[in-house]
Parts: sequence; structure tokens; C-alpha cells
Amino acid sequence: MKAVALAVGAALLTAQLPNRLSAQDSQFGIRGLGTPGKWESVRARSSGGAFAPFDGFSPLIDASLIDVRRLSGSVTGAMSRRTVDIAGTQTPLRGTRFPAFVIAGPLGRRLVLGGGFTTYLDRTFGISTSDTLIVRNDTVPFTDAVNSDGAVTDVRLAAAGRLTKRLTIGAGIHLLTGSTRVVATRTFTDTSYRNTTARDQVSYAGEGFSVNALYDLGPLRLAGWYRADSRLEADIRGTTVADNDLPNSYGVGVLLRPGAQFAIAGTATARDWTGSTSNGHNTLNWSIGTELGTPGAGLRLGARGGQMPFGAGATAPTELGLSAGIGKQFSAGRGRIDFGLEHLQRTGTGLSEKVWTFLLGLTVRP
Amino acid sequence: MKRYFAMLLLCMSPIACVEVATAPGVCPTFCPNGTIESYDTIFTDIIVRDSAFRGYVQPYQAEAMTAADLPGVIDSRAVFVTNNMFTTTTPVPGDTTPVPLVADSVRLRTIIVRRDTQATNLQLKLYSVPVTTDSASTFLDLEPYFSNPPVDSVNVSAVLARPPITDTTTRRVWGDSIWTDSAGHVIIQADSGRTLFLYWHLDSLQAPLVVADSGRLGFGIRVAADSFATVALGTLESSRNALVSWYYHYTVPDTVTSEPDSVKSGVAPRAAAFDNFVFDRPVQPIDSDLVVGGAPSARSLLRVELPTFLHDSIDVVRATLILVPVTPVAASPADSFEIRGLPVLTDLGAKSPLAQVLTGRTTIHANVADTVRMEVTDMIRSWALDSTQTTSFVLGQVPEAASYTDIRFYSSRSPALRPALRITYVKRFPFGKP
Repeated sequence: MKAVALAVGAALLTAQLPNRLSAQDSQFGIRGLGTPGKWESVRARSSGGAFAPFDGFSPLIDASLIDVRRLSGSVTGAMSRRTVDIAGTQTPLRGTRFPAFVIAGPLGRRLVLGGGFTTYLDRTFGISTSDTLIVRNDTVPFTDAVNSDGAVTDVRLAAAGRLTKRLTIGAGIHLLTGSTRVVATRTFTDTSYRNTTARDQVSYAGEGFSVNALYDLGPLRLAGWYRADSRLEADIRGTTVADNDLPNSYGVGVLLRPGAQFAIAGTATARDWTGSTSNGHNTLNWSIGTELGTPGAGLRLGARGGQMPFGAGATAPTELGLSAGIGKQFSAGRGRIDFGLEHLQRTGTGLSEKVWTFLLGLTVRP
Repeated sequence: MKRYFAMLLLCMSPIACVEVATAPGVCPTFCPNGTIESYDTIFTDIIVRDSAFRGYVQPYQAEAMTAADLPGVIDSRAVFVTNNMFTTTTPVPGDTTPVPLVADSVRLRTIIVRRDTQATNLQLKLYSVPVTTDSASTFLDLEPYFSNPPVDSVNVSAVLARPPITDTTTRRVWGDSIWTDSAGHVIIQADSGRTLFLYWHLDSLQAPLVVADSGRLGFGIRVAADSFATVALGTLESSRNALVSWYYHYTVPDTVTSEPDSVKSGVAPRAAAFDNFVFDRPVQPIDSDLVVGGAPSARSLLRVELPTFLHDSIDVVRATLILVPVTPVAASPADSFEIRGLPVLTDLGAKSPLAQVLTGRTTIHANVADTVRMEVTDMIRSWALDSTQTTSFVLGQVPEAASYTDIRFYSSRSPALRPALRITYVKRFPFGKP
């Protein structure tokens, strides 16, 4: 069993390229920098994201790495089915992503090092529009398709250190990288006009750092974090075509574990996207969730809400979600499979989305 | 262990689903910041140093020969000379004494590859012309022979108006249904009636086997009709040439036995050895105009100075060459023809080698003065993508030198009416900008 688990884990951890490490995308992110990823493991995401600050395999904060007591790796897979509703017309979409990968291990009793990939901004989308063109005294119908496949990926190197029995601090440096393959096609109905296709690859670059802390007060654990990211440069064949400011992030979380079989947590996160693009909004997101049963192997329930960073109008689109999941340990705790199901409802001016996401996580401790 | 592994595979299976990421766009609110912008520009001064040249294909090298009689326009006549026919034979083995052949009759096949289907009372008249007729023979040289009474004539319209003969015996002999008249002319239709195989039956007076001519026959064909009197006949170059079949007999002298002399007969086909057409209009010299077509054929070389910006970050979606005719083409509607634009591989002037790909083509309609437009999108696209290519092309008639028809366009020496290129292009999508 151990060999099988290790083999599957190794395959999962190595089979995907970084630009596939995307979260579920959104139409709201097309006219903007993208759709922010969820820096959460399946366990945390099944609880609405509330356990993310307290889960060592969620790349939200670095201090939580302190709970990883052996060299471990974790990968998250997500299959989404999204329905986009535009003025009553619904379009079903689907996609498969591997939005988070974390590997961590202790260096002594008080220090844990970790790293991995996660989606910073998802840039996978495709849009299709049909219109007519007045050219040569004639009306020429055409269809435009613009497709983008890829993401801005956050490559993280982090450390968590236990300063005192109660206080743990963490810090991380983040390298923003990744690329998108972009294709724009115009197809004419009139065969006198040749169809045109332009392809390119947009490379992204940026950096950031994060500091955060965990404070234990008996059954209560408090978390606070701050992350600053620089500017995001978009390059095409060595030429910078865009340079956008990235937000600072602030957040707090609280976890209450009154007994061995029950835990409840909540978080609040703020990010300032207004400086990024003209349609950027400041966001405040919250989550609340619970885990029933043994930690890491129980039933998880959660809810989340807040805003999306990009959207038309003066107010930001909103996101509301419910999620649930379970985990199962095997090989005497050396491996764990997590399952989750998440439903999100996003609403903004002129568009709404419903997203069902099936989550699958695998954590191995060789 | 197997149970866990199976469960894992089961859980992984949905992840392998096909991705669908494209939705209708709501622009500009939920679309990328940028669009595919189209532009349409008429470039009036990028065709430069254009010239015309004549003499590429001679009429006797053409794929067809035109016979036409359009009063005030053209009088064009087809001529051909057949190959030698043997006039004696040596039928007795070992005996070298020649025995003369006696020609009984000749069946002549001519193929009409183009005609005006609107023509009524379309007649073809067959004349005898000297077997010495060659490429130097002119309309005036041959005029006296066409003034003689015709050897034979056939009313094609009348023959086709008769019911076809479709019985099994006829089809076995001719291979298809036939139309015929009382004089023995036979017509077989091919290509859904566009092509006519016309068989003439000539006796030994109409087609004599002349020893001095080595059995060659020379014929000329004129055409007549109530209107639109024009046809094109196939030639050697198109493998649709005229063909005569000699029906002959000879006597085998019996010098060994007491049996009487016996008579043998046979058939010998002879294809045309030379075919040509002559017409009463002198070939116009090349001047400052762009000439395309005629016989001998003329071509026009157009050089294009493609703007630099068309090489960078744009994609040509349509390109149209605009040419203004000096005068309409005077001809029967059936003599409308196609001209083709072929890119040159390297610009060597009149002798530039031509590429046979990325060509443009358009039809020149007779008696129409409209501006001529030719789609050359593929050619211009390839030039825009590859700046090392030679940006010149040649306009030529298809097929060349098969007709008296040609067209003249204003060249770049006529500023107001010079050739132009209308190019519709799109600018590169501004990727990467949120």
C-alpha cells in the first residue's frame, strides 16, 4: 500500500507543469489581471477556507508550516463545472486544475521549511463574439474567438519558526511566474476574406513577501498575516506589454478546538486591488467552517463570502459559497486522501456564475 | 491495498475530463482589453514599374484555335495539315514491287472545345488549303483558298436539333449516342454537351490521296451563324487535335497461282501535324498600356512596393487587384476569357520564372467596360509574411494564344487610372494587456 501511495503521490506531484496550477477561473477576471487563486488545501477549502491559516498544506500563510512534523507533500486537484449566465443565456463550462502543491519538512524542533506552487491569478478563459463589419460597402459577418490558457503562478519558499510555546511566526518569499498561451482568431463567413489567427505566449514576472504569525491560547489559535506583492510584468517575446500593481493582503483568523473531535474556525481577508486596473475593487472575504472528527480525517463543512476583485460598475462582484468534504488516512497515517465539494455563486453587474467544484487532495509522508 | 488504489483511480477519473473554456463574450465589460481591428485601404501607388511583353506563346502553340466571324470585330480561321500518308504498299512478301493505294474515303474528326450555345444556325465550313501551310502563313496568304467553294459544310445547330440515335448497334460502333444528318456528319457530345466531337465524311474527290503531297491533307475551317459565330477547336497541344482516317484499298497481284487478283482494304489514321489559326486583325504593338492575351500572347508584369507596415504585426485578410480597362474587349460573349495573376519567383523582367501557386484569377467578359477586380489575397498574404519574397506578379491569359482576344489596362503611367491594390487587413491583437 505504501508503495502504491508513494507512486501515485509522486505521479501527481510531478505530472503537471506550473502553468496548469490554476484555480477555477471566472468571467469576472477576463477584463482584469485574472481570477485570484484560492491558496487552500482540499481540507481547508472543504471548510470554506476557514482552516487555511491553520493548515500546514494551505499556502495562505507560512506559520502554519510549523505543524508539519515530517517531510510531507500535498497536492490539490479540482474539477469545476461552471455555468455562466449572461442576460438569461446560460453557457456551461468545465475545467480541471491543480491549484496547489506544497512540500514541507522540519529542520529541527522549532523550524520548518516549505515551498511549492499555487495559483496566484488564473488566466484561462475563452470568449467568442459574433458581429458584422462594414467593409467595401458590404456587411461582412465574422466571429472572433480569444482564448487564453495559463496562469500566474506563485512559487513560494517559506519558513515557520516557533519562537515561544505560544507564538509561531512565518515568512515567505514569493516568485510570481507562469505564462499564458493566447490565441485570437477572426473567422469570416464570407470566404472572400481569409480567417486570421494570432498566437503568442505571455510571460509573467513579479515577486512578493509574506509575514504571518500564529498565537495559541489554549483551545484557541489566532492567526494574522500580511503579504505584499510588487508589480506584475507581462512580457511578450522579451518586450514588456503591461505592468500592473499587485495588492497587499491582510488577514486574521481564529480557530477554536474545544475537544479532540470538533473544531471551528473563521477568517477575514482584505486585499486592495484598486491600484491594479481601472476596474479593480478592494475586496473583503470571510469564511467560516468546522471539522467534525479527528483532525485531518473528519467531516468538514464551511461557507465563504466576499467580493471578487474585478468587475464592471462601482461595486465589486460578490461571491458566496458552501462546501463540504471528508478525509481518509491510510498507511498508518502516512497518506491521506481528501475529498471535497464546493458550490460558489458569483454575482456582478451583467453576469452571474454558478460553480460546482469537485476537489481531490493527496498528502503523503514518505 | 487494491481497494484504495481502485478508489483513487475512480476519484481521478473525472479530473481527466475535457476542458471547455469558451463562452459567449459580453464586450467590452467581460472581454479582454483589446479587439481585432480591421482596416481597409486602397493603395493607389504601390504598383510600379509595370510593363507588358508579347510573344510568349504563338497561336500554333496554343491549346485551341479559334474560328470566328464577327463582322466589324474579327474574321478568324482555323487551319491544319495532316501527317504523311503512304501511297503505295508491298503486299506480297519478298516482292518489292509497290502496289498503289486507292483512297476510298476519309473520315475527319474535329473537336469543338468551345462554342456559343446561344448561336443559331451555327455552321462549319471546310476548305482545302495547301499542305505547305505553316506558321508563316498569314490571313492574306490563305484568303484565296477560303474564297473557293468549301469542300464540305455542316450545320451544327441543325444536326444537334435532330433526335439522337441511341440504338445498341450505333452505341457499339461510336461508343455513345450520336447526332447525324443526311450528309453523314456525326456529332458526339462530351462534357455535358460543352465539347462536340464532329466527324466529317469526305469522298476521294473531297480528300484526294495525292502522291505529290505525300498523302498529306490541308484543311481550313470557317464558321458562320446568324450571330455569335465563334468556336474553338482542339489542337495538338491539348491532345484534341484534328484526325483523319483514310479508308483505302489495293489490289494484291497474284503471280504464283492461277487465282484471280484479290482486293484488300484498310484504315489508316493520321493526326494533324500542324495546326494554327489566322485572323484579319493585325497584332497591336505594345505601348504604355498593360496588355494581356492575344495571339501571340502578351503578358504584363506588375511590381508591387508593399508598404513596410504590412510586413509588421498585421494579417492580410483580403487583397484585390483593381485594373481599369482601356476599352472593352470586342468579341462574342463566348470568347470571354480568364486572366490569371501568377507571382514571379525572381524578377528577371519579361523572362521572370513564374510560380504556379498563390495565383489570382478573374474572368474578362466581352463587351463590358467595368473595372476588373482580381482577388490576390493568398499572394499578398505570403508577401506580408515573408519579406524576402519577390513582390511582383504577371498577368496572363488562360489559355494563352488560343484566341484573338486580348485586354488592355491602364498602367502606372496613367496616374488617374493606374492599377491599385485594395487590401483589408487586421492588426495584431494586443495580447497581455488586462
